Amino acid sequence: MHPLDITGVGVVTPLGVGIDAFVAGLREGRDGFTTSPDTFDAKPYEGACVGEVRGFEPGKYLGDKGLRTLDRLTKLLLVATRLAAVDAGIKKDGQYLSLSPRRVGLCASTAYGSLEAITELDRVAVLEDARYLNPAKFPNTVINSAAGYASIWEDLRALNVTVSNGNTGPLDAILCAGMYLGAGAADAILVGGAEALSEALYLAFRRLGVLREQHGGANGIRLGEGAALFALQPPEVAAVRGARRVARIVGYGTSFEPPESEVLMVHPSSVAIGQAIRAALDDAGWDASSVDLVVSSASGLPDFDRAERTSIDAVIGTEVPIAAPKLVLGESLGAASALGLASGLAWIGALSDGGPIPLGPASLRGETRAEAERVICTAVGFYGTAAAVAFTRGTS
Amino acid sequence: MSRRVLVTGIGVVSSLGFGRGEFWGNLVAGKSGVGPVEAFDTSSLGRSNAAEVRGFRPRDFLTAAEARRTGRCGAMTLAAARMAWEDAALPARHVKPERVSVVLGTTMGEALVIEQLDHAWIHDGPEAVDDRLVTRYGAALLPINVARAFGARGVTLALPAACAAGNYAIGFASDLIRSGRADVVITGSAETLQQLQYSGFVRLGAVAPERCQPFDLNRQGLILGEGAGVLVVESEEHAVRRGAAALAEVGGYGLACDAYHITRPHPEAEGTISAIRRALDATGITPDDVSLVNAHGTATKANDQAEARALREVFGPRRLPVTANKSMIGHAMGASSAIEAVACIMSVVEDACPPTMGYETPDPECPIDVVTEPTKMTVDVVLNTALAFGGYDSVQVFGKPGKLPHPRDVKRLPS
Repeated sequence: MHPLDITGVGVVTPLGVGIDAFVAGLREGRDGFTTSPDTFDAKPYEGACVGEVRGFEPGKYLGDKGLRTLDRLTKLLLVATRLAAVDAGIKKDGQYLSLSPRRVGLCASTAYGSLEAITELDRVAVLEDARYLNPAKFPNTVINSAAGYASIWEDLRALNVTVSNGNTGPLDAILCAGMYLGAGAADAILVGGAEALSEALYLAFRRLGVLREQHGGANGIRLGEGAALFALQPPEVAAVRGARRVARIVGYGTSFEPPESEVLMVHPSSVAIGQAIRAALDDAGWDASSVDLVVSSASGLPDFDRAERTSIDAVIGTEVPIAAPKLVLGESLGAASALGLASGLAWIGALSDGGPIPLGPASLRGETRAEAERVICTAVGFYGTAAAVAFTRGTS
Repeated sequence: MSRRVLVTGIGVVSSLGFGRGEFWGNLVAGKSGVGPVEAFDTSSLGRSNAAEVRGFRPRDFLTAAEARRTGRCGAMTLAAARMAWEDAALPARHVKPERVSVVLGTTMGEALVIEQLDHAWIHDGPEAVDDRLVTRYGAALLPINVARAFGARGVTLALPAACAAGNYAIGFASDLIRSGRADVVITGSAETLQQLQYSGFVRLGAVAPERCQPFDLNRQGLILGEGAGVLVVESEEHAVRRGAAALAEVGGYGLACDAYHITRPHPEAEGTISAIRRALDATGITPDDVSLVNAHGTATKANDQAEARALREVFGPRRLPVTANKSMIGHAMGASSAIEAVACIMSVVEDACPPTMGYETPDPECPIDVVTEPTKMTVDVVLNTALAFGGYDSVQVFGKPGKLPHPRDVKRLPS
């Protein structure tokens, strides 16, 4: 791929909102889990524990007007979008500082974005009558609704793309943005992902029996939520406006291997993960031994974590440090690898002064090296897909 | 690397029939797929018509295992994909799995699956939610099930872009080929009609009582529809190597966003104008090169007037034929721009334009030349416009093979 500079970062996470709060949370080795979430009544679900953006106050960042009919996903995405545009120096106080609105786009992932609105409106339709559906809430049932609202709130008039590709979505969004930027369709694209917790989402995973609270010990996932967006620009375009470079994305890879059985759906594929990582390394022109850190997709599902670990060991080696941001943030699905990328940036010291910060409880193996520059970030889908992205603080 | 992208196969599941032959025959004859909704009760809503896909039996196209893994949306997608794959006559030995990608769009995906899950939860409590259904929900499954069926191992991607989803998917699929990341891409979009979504459109006041009359002065709104449209697109080198005939060439595309209102288009149509111009620039052609526009034409006042304004702005007063398929197949939402892409390609293949039905009284606010009769005409270059929820503006160009400039000769857009 053509290299893409990350010129700004916006995060809304269970460790806090904004880069400073997020980095402080990682540095202190905290996690973002709670047993009394704001997003749904957890009492009927014994042991429920989720990675939630607790006490989220979108009004603090967006003002109080116009938020009433928006769903949580939209508000998470709006705040991350605004923070990323400001951090990139593209906007300030709602005004464009550099670039034209016609040349700034959005490309964001969500896996189950419209679930909250659909279930809410279904309740009205079933328990009352479809005639009482609130038309102002109906737009939230459409998957690309949050991205559409973000275009309006932030005046983003270039392409507006939603990727809904399960767990690999945010990394796939980088592929998309790279193509669009390479074709000159925009000067900057805000790229990443968002996912919101809701009772419906929690219930779905509870019914699948994959939650840690149903297993005890370290097995099973903790659901999470959040949003992370990155302002991406081709280096030559970023240079024109003298943008600060947080890091540079230099490679992308993806692969898909279905299960052998025709009737199976859920399936971890170490073959796909290995091919995705190898493709990202090739795309970046990196030697596997030069990778300083792998930000993995490990979430607590034993089969998936084992498959990924096998691939990392085989393709990159058995010495490379491995982090698992989901161990402190939760499994946020369509947002997870965006939050993973943000975590990787934080760990190699790209989001704060003073060099790399320790992996702490997110370490699966080893620690960040003092001169860490090159990172592979992976995403593993539930159905046999995998993606990987290579980024660096250096200029290679 | 910049390669020509060719369409070598078409599949379609529509209210006007299955497969390109049946679909096109009915469309060009001006037949209507609109009728009273059979899938659910509309009696309390004050509206009752839609262009439903009738008589679709997944097992006519899918294996038993495939049918078990998919909801209606996935099943229609896979059925259309299978038709397109067979139409392209792509035997497995001709393709490298990692060079085949799948890029599909939708608005809501498996709306009937989530309805079933929700209703079980609402009526019988959380324990009644069937975990086997959970793994049938999610837009990502549309490309995954297609990739499984044809052994694709490249990019599997879902781009939910509401009513522009087909254009978004086809555009990105052509990017994958043009840039050398794929040789073959299965691409398109799908949507199912569903009660909540139907009710929502009625509550928004957008649904017409009987018929859909794009650009007509007395139009009363849209008629919802459903279906799936899928193309097999291929690099020129790949198609030539295996001796495949091209139906059409995929030209450039333009995307923009109004950033104005979540459901209404910008009245000045600035985004639409910019998307049309970008599509022409990206293809390396001028407005005069365009033979036909297959309009979004939803028959809502806001859409039709904004769209007509944009077309007039870019193409000027010349008599450019414009046709609107939604008068017959309704607004198939996420599927619409892929099904209409099929119509565009068939126009190129057959040198013919399907009529716009129900166009009786011209609207002075829509100063365009609406085609009202089945018309034989030379169609070298056709534009597919899709203007969607979220303020999305998207325009895709298709051309007769050899009639568009080679992509390597097209200047990169100015940054």
